[in-house]
Formats: sequence, C-alpha cells, structure tokens
Amino acid sequence: MSEAIEKDPRVSLPAFDYRVPQTVDEAIALLGEYGDDAILMAGGLTVMLLLRERLIQPRVVISLSNIGALNGVDVNGDCRIGAMTRHSDIVVSRVLRESVPLLCDACGRVGSPAIRNMGTLGGSVSQGDGASDTAPALLALNAEAVAVGPDGERRIPLSGFFQDVFTTALLDQEILTSLRVPTPAYGTRTKFFKYTCTSAEAFAAVTVAITFVPSEDGSCKDIRIGLGSVAPTPIRATQAEDLLRGQKATPELIAEVAAAAAAATDPPSDGQGSADYRREMTRVWVRRLLEETVIN
Amino acid sequence: MNRRTATSEIEARGMRLPRRKGAASMIRELSVTVNGVTHEINTRVNRTLFQLIKEDLHLVGTKDGCRQGVCGSCTVLVEGVPVRSCLTLAVRCEGKHVTTIEGLKENGQLHPLQQAFIDEGAVQCGFCTPGMLISAAAFLRENSNPTEEEVREALIGNLCRCTGYARIVRAVMSLGNENR
Repeated sequence: MSEAIEKDPRVSLPAFDYRVPQTVDEAIALLGEYGDDAILMAGGLTVMLLLRERLIQPRVVISLSNIGALNGVDVNGDCRIGAMTRHSDIVVSRVLRESVPLLCDACGRVGSPAIRNMGTLGGSVSQGDGASDTAPALLALNAEAVAVGPDGERRIPLSGFFQDVFTTALLDQEILTSLRVPTPAYGTRTKFFKYTCTSAEAFAAVTVAITFVPSEDGSCKDIRIGLGSVAPTPIRATQAEDLLRGQKATPELIAEVAAAAAAATDPPSDGQGSADYRREMTRVWVRRLLEETVIN
Repeated sequence: MNRRTATSEIEARGMRLPRRKGAASMIRELSVTVNGVTHEINTRVNRTLFQLIKEDLHLVGTKDGCRQGVCGSCTVLVEGVPVRSCLTLAVRCEGKHVTTIEGLKENGQLHPLQQAFIDEGAVQCGFCTPGMLISAAAFLRENSNPTEEEVREALIGNLCRCTGYARIVRAVMSLGNENR
C-alpha cells in the first residue's frame, strides 16, 4: 500500500539535493555553481507545488531558511523588511502597523493563516505573480526591492520590477534580500481591498491598494493606485493617478479616475471572473475606496 | 539576462517533466519532536513533514486532502504555529516541535475544543476535523474571546464539505463565551 503511495507522483516529490547556505554570499555561490539546475526555496509554498507537479526538476534546492541577514524588520526613517519575513509576522508587527498599515492589511489577506505562517514577502515578490495580494500595496507605497548578486547590491524600484508574466527584474544569480518601504508622508491615508468572488482565501478578482496624501485645503497632493489580479503583472494605474493629482476630489472626478484605472487593466478570464467583469469591478472598487479615502 | 521564475518556465513549457533517470535524493539525519516525543529519523530530503508523520511515525490523524495547501486537512503545528505539512519539507523541521491532532489532548483528556466539537455535533465525516481543531486551537490561544466573524476568518484555510461550518463555528465560539 505505502509503496503505491510512494510511486504516486502527487504525494512524493522528485529527487533533489538540499543545501542550506548560512550567508547570502554562500547562496549566491551555490547559484553560480549550479545555475539552472538549482532553485531557491524561501517559505517553500511555491517550490513545493512546482516540485510536486513535476513542473520543475532541479538537481539542488537551495534553502534560504538559515540566512539570518534575510530576517528582521526595522523602521529607521524607512522600513526595511527582510525577504524571509513571513506574511504573518508583518500582520502583527507593531512598528510596521504604525508606519505602513497598508502593507499589514495586504499581508493579512494573503491566502489563509497557515499560508501566511509559511509564505515570505520576499519569496512572494520574487515570484512576480500578477495576482499577488501584496504587490499592489508595495507599488502604492513606492517600495524598492534590494537584490544582491555576484556584482554586489542593487536597488530596484518596484514600479519597474514586475516585467512580464512571472518575470521580474531579478538577474540569474541575484537574490532578493529585503524590501524597502519609505515612510509615507505625514497625513497619508491608505486603503486596501481584496475582492474575491469564490472564497475568502482564493486569488482575487481584483485587488486595490491606494495611498492618498491630502493637501492643506483637502485636495489631492499625491495619489498612488496599485492593482492586482487584473493584468499580467501587478500594476500601478498611473494615468488614473495623474487625473487626480493636484486636483480637488469631487465625485465626478473620482468616477473619471476609477474609469481610467479600469481602462489600464488587462485582466485574464479565469475562475475568478471574466475579463469584462474584473475590469468593471476595478472601476467599482477604485471608486468606492477613493470615496472612502477622501471623506474625512 | 533576467532570470525567469520557475513559474514562467511552466508557462513556456506547459507540461510535466519526465523522471530524471538515476536520480536519488540525499539522506539527512533528522531530530524532530512530535507530540512531546523526540525522534531521530533518517530521511531522504525530498520527503514532506506529512510523509514523516504518516509513514515514519504512523500518526494517522493528519489527513491527505489536496496536496496543494488549500484544503487544510494536513494542518499541524510547528513551534505552535499552524502550517501545511503537505508543503513542508521534513528536513526543515530539524530541532523543531511538531504537534499533530494526536497531541492536542491535555493530560490524557480531550482538549476542550475537541469536547466542544462533540457537544455541538460539529463532526460529520470527520475528514476536515483534525486540521480544523489544530487551526482553531492555535487561534483561540491568540484570541480567547473572538467574535463570530473572527472565528470564520481564522478558519478560512480549513475547508469542510459536510457541515456548512455552522456547528464548527458554534463549537469554537462556545469556548470563547466561557471567558466572557
């Protein structure tokens, strides 16, 4: 009986060797040594699924679990979040809740509690999933990815990080080591909403993340709108933002901004909804969140 | 050249890879404490915590549901925190404390949550129940007096096809009320 289970590819995993580097440099050296034959494992959720389905067959799995430098959260002006920080840790982090509650809200809607206990922010961001719950918030917060490779450290603004379907700006031997989030300007209001149609822990039909900085007279000093699940990558609705920036947010203008955000999407049609439906839901939820944000 | 993530390779290939001939995983010595008992186990590194629990330790309470981390029936506690054993490598539990449903008992008595599930009739086929209890027990430790909405949110990662969740939620809530 157990032999039959062992041979069933969906219980067992393909063979691989397992390395646990203690430093970022060791991990980069391993990537250099094994190249395409190696895969990095952060929280493990994605890699385990890919292994189980035989969609990848690396010779070596390089675990990032023991690299202390990838852990830790500190807020010193800006927020530095180690790549191996789990979503659940971000949700309960008091310093992050004070500085960047939008990110805490987003992390709180990733999957379900057990998934949040395993998945890491860096692992998730480096996946480049268009349906990421956290990427819209990071985009709205103007975050940066910090990557380290054989040539040293590189800072990559997230606005240029997500390049294509599951394709990021990370180079072959680079490791995402942390996310940097600038502390939002005083008075910034933020809103996050993950709209799911099937079940609470599913991927979204659309995810909206907004940062809004009011001027003294109440008009819009700055605005950033991050959208998830409605394009091949997570996106910012920059043309919609431009309509509102510097203007007084009347209901009519908000409706225009929401329509422009919807026009910026290129949603897939899948189990979370048709492309048309998700475009329309983008318009609805951007409008609703903006209205909530603008009303004091 | 940008590194395409593993998932973009799937987009490119769109199909499963054949077994690599002659491949075998390295073997590691593992020391892991399960339900208070420390085990020294030699395991191939490509085995999951779920396989260790079921096949090495013959603890049958943890269930094999979806193998994708969605259904929650494989949920166990590692260092007191609910995780998916089907998506956890056994070797990642070196030196850690694991609690399965068999370890939920306190001093030979059913955990109050287990008793509440019985009292409220929150078990039909029972397949989701171990994972449900593990998740709920960990949740109640963090939030001893939850609202119904908080309970429902805490259990979104544990799917039940039988009960419609009503009695499960009632059972969890019944423990909260005792503290009010």
